[in-house]
Amino acid sequence: MMPARLQRTLLTLAGAVVAVLLAVAISSIAILAAGASPITALEAMFDFGDTQAQVATAVAFILNRAVPLFIAGLAVAIGFRMNLFNIGIEGQYRLAAIVAAFVGSQFVLPGPIQITLIIVVAMLVGGLYALIPAVLKVTRGVNEVISTIMLNYIAINLAAFLVRGPFTGEREAGQLTTSTPQLPESAWFPNLNFLFEMFGLPAPRGGLWGFLIVAILVGVIIWVVLERTRFGFEVKASGLNASAALASGVNPKRMVISAMVLSGAIAGLIGMPEILGRTHAYGSNFTAGLGFLGIAVALLGRNKPVGIAVAALLFGFLDRAAAPLQFADIPPSVIAIIQGTIVLLVVIANEITSRVSMRQEERRAARQLDTTSQAQAEVAA
Amino acid sequence: MSTSSDTLAAAPPAVELEGITKRFPGVVANHDIRIAVEPGTVHAIVGENGAGKSTLMKILYGMQRPDEGRIRVHGEDVNFRTPSDAIAAGIGMVHQHFMLADYLTVLENIVLGAEPRKGGLLDTAGARKRINQLAETHGLRVDPDRLVEDLGVGDRQRVEILKVLYRGARILILDEPTAVLVPQEVDELFANLRELKAEGLTVIFISHKLDEVLSIADAITVIRRGTTVAAVDPASVTARQLAELMVGSELPTPETRESTVTDRVVLDVRDVTIQRGAAKPLLEDVSFPVRAGEVVGIAGVEGNGQSELIEAIMGLQTLSRGRIVLGEDDITTWSTLRRREAGIGYIPEDRHRQGLLLEAPLWENRVLGHQTREPARKGIWVNRAASRKDTERIVAEYDVRTPSIDTLALALSGGNQQKLIVGREMSGEPKFLIAAHPTRGVDVGAQAAIWDHLRTARAAGLAVLLISADLDELIGLSDCLHVIYSGRMVARLDPSQVTPEQLGGYMTGAIAEEQS
Repeated sequence: MMPARLQRTLLTLAGAVVAVLLAVAISSIAILAAGASPITALEAMFDFGDTQAQVATAVAFILNRAVPLFIAGLAVAIGFRMNLFNIGIEGQYRLAAIVAAFVGSQFVLPGPIQITLIIVVAMLVGGLYALIPAVLKVTRGVNEVISTIMLNYIAINLAAFLVRGPFTGEREAGQLTTSTPQLPESAWFPNLNFLFEMFGLPAPRGGLWGFLIVAILVGVIIWVVLERTRFGFEVKASGLNASAALASGVNPKRMVISAMVLSGAIAGLIGMPEILGRTHAYGSNFTAGLGFLGIAVALLGRNKPVGIAVAALLFGFLDRAAAPLQFADIPPSVIAIIQGTIVLLVVIANEITSRVSMRQEERRAARQLDTTSQAQAEVAA
Repeated sequence: MSTSSDTLAAAPPAVELEGITKRFPGVVANHDIRIAVEPGTVHAIVGENGAGKSTLMKILYGMQRPDEGRIRVHGEDVNFRTPSDAIAAGIGMVHQHFMLADYLTVLENIVLGAEPRKGGLLDTAGARKRINQLAETHGLRVDPDRLVEDLGVGDRQRVEILKVLYRGARILILDEPTAVLVPQEVDELFANLRELKAEGLTVIFISHKLDEVLSIADAITVIRRGTTVAAVDPASVTARQLAELMVGSELPTPETRESTVTDRVVLDVRDVTIQRGAAKPLLEDVSFPVRAGEVVGIAGVEGNGQSELIEAIMGLQTLSRGRIVLGEDDITTWSTLRRREAGIGYIPEDRHRQGLLLEAPLWENRVLGHQTREPARKGIWVNRAASRKDTERIVAEYDVRTPSIDTLALALSGGNQQKLIVGREMSGEPKFLIAAHPTRGVDVGAQAAIWDHLRTARAAGLAVLLISADLDELIGLSDCLHVIYSGRMVARLDPSQVTPEQLGGYMTGAIAEEQS
């Protein structure tokens, strides 16, 4: 019984590998056009530094970059699974991050409680902000793509206003950026530098954010929810065949609301690794654009948690390579070209492999059943 | 058979299809289709929905390629790869759903894709001249400068026809052209078609509305279950005979069997009315009971309110008036889920649209519709082990031919997909089952098996509402037969007494309600 599934998985993997290789080939042309050598570029990308400290820092950079991308990919995937396009992740996570950072700075409690509260606030804000397009969709039929995109602008500007106005903290002399008040130390998420020490490596500069653990946990929970629960089944059914889901008693309005809110709540976590792990405040230089990158990561990972994790790591790896490329006199925008072509090619490869595997499935079934007699029976009718 | 033997001798047929066969995975959509369309005639192709008319027209218009068979246009073999090839050969298609750009003018729509140019610019004057000329010779009045947005349905259709003529088509395919028209517009369309015919054009007219076909066609080909079953002369055939040809004329003597009908009403439909806006009601004061152990059949030409009735019972349509009672409970306001949980099973008329997740394995399809009930559910979880086990049971009991329960539903033939659905809907001890066209598009073996399952369940006390276009099926299975026409129940008949003439008469509206 497993071979059929195994074959489907292998085919998907093969498609992804071919797509990545093709993307590298296409990017090489871009690098050549920019007057550099693709070999040098590849070397630079895989050059993690000469000293152990540099290697550790490089690995920590990749992981620290991959964690929010992974969470963003998960948030996107929940909606995508049922053909619900939450393009509003960007706004949801930024609004959630500033509100959570501000609320967290207003009280001091023991570490675990403080951190949990901040995370809960972030998820609440993200979820509630995603509730707006969901309600608009089920009551007024407003397309969620349009409403979430427009809500992004509102959220981004609202966050910019809040950080300068009501939520602004004290600014140190000479500091040019504004930010929310610093979180108390109890809200600082412990880092995971001990992992490096276990492998005999020195601790990376900046540290490996401890939120990695939470992200893995969230990934597992989302996988379980989507693959094993009744809710996950209803999400899948709605995505595969909305009218069949409706006729089977799945309430489409309830599904839109719950999937959207869940997606927004997960989106609320995107800013947490940075805020709890490094900046300890929401500043005007808070990392932006993760929500949009999350769409690419989810596409790349085929809306499945494991795939999204791989995609997030790949993106983290490529983002790290921007600096070494610059040292090698190669324009770092090459990275954007590689990322773009990978996403495009993987989407194409996914489409091709899923068609091929479906056709294979049909043929296999036909072969095993010797449908010729059946076909004759149909003809006779 | 043919209307004029002179033309037959004089010219080769405008279109000749010979042995056209088209297979899709699991189904044979067309098999050995043979049609000869004489030039300068209106040739109707009739058949029930799903009989294979659309596939055939797609083949003729180059949208799909036949697996076997030959197409000849004016005596010459052709091989269409795309619609452009068909257009080049002088074949044009007027789709059932108009393909017009609302915000362009009539003229712009007509020339779209075949724009006449003059010095790199659109030659509006030339185009207008040609359109007016075409409109005049064919009697297709329409103002070329109006926005399509502002046009009524009849005018839009004329634009579609002009568009096809503008590209030089001499053979027009009209796919269900009257489906969207009101009677006056139908009359106008038919006047237009007669004019086209007088100009020597050939029209292929696809429909399942028999009275219309009889009034316009010079020749009729009947398609049933993917193959041509008869070529008839409209002058020598009645609507009833045509209906019989469409749905299968041989009416078997209903097998004598013991009635299992009890006096316990399971489902009671009372005065159900569905009306949207000021239009004619889709369903009007429909009332009937279904008792335990009884199969109630609904006969009717498709599109007379059957779908609305099913959706009303399933909770997919809100009622304008009336009530639906299941057992002791008034379920009128219940959700679809609650109705299913209360014991309503549903074999949908279109299994791919409403019954299956084609890209999911069989066992997940077993869960569909039962996701809140044992054995598919365990608390918040999907009970995978139990679902898989129960799918194995269905596969064995209902003879679903599949390599495994992990096979994707799309890989199964239509008959096996349907057997899986029947098995699923029969599990969990339903009290009441809607069986909508339960054997449509399945092979004979599966058909017999599904009929047996329905009979067994009926004997065990299941109440069944059977909606079908297949008269054999209706008469053979039903204990009581209702005829639905234009949203109303027009007759209640005893299937052991009914004659095909009677049934056809009620179905086509020829016999007005007398005894309902």
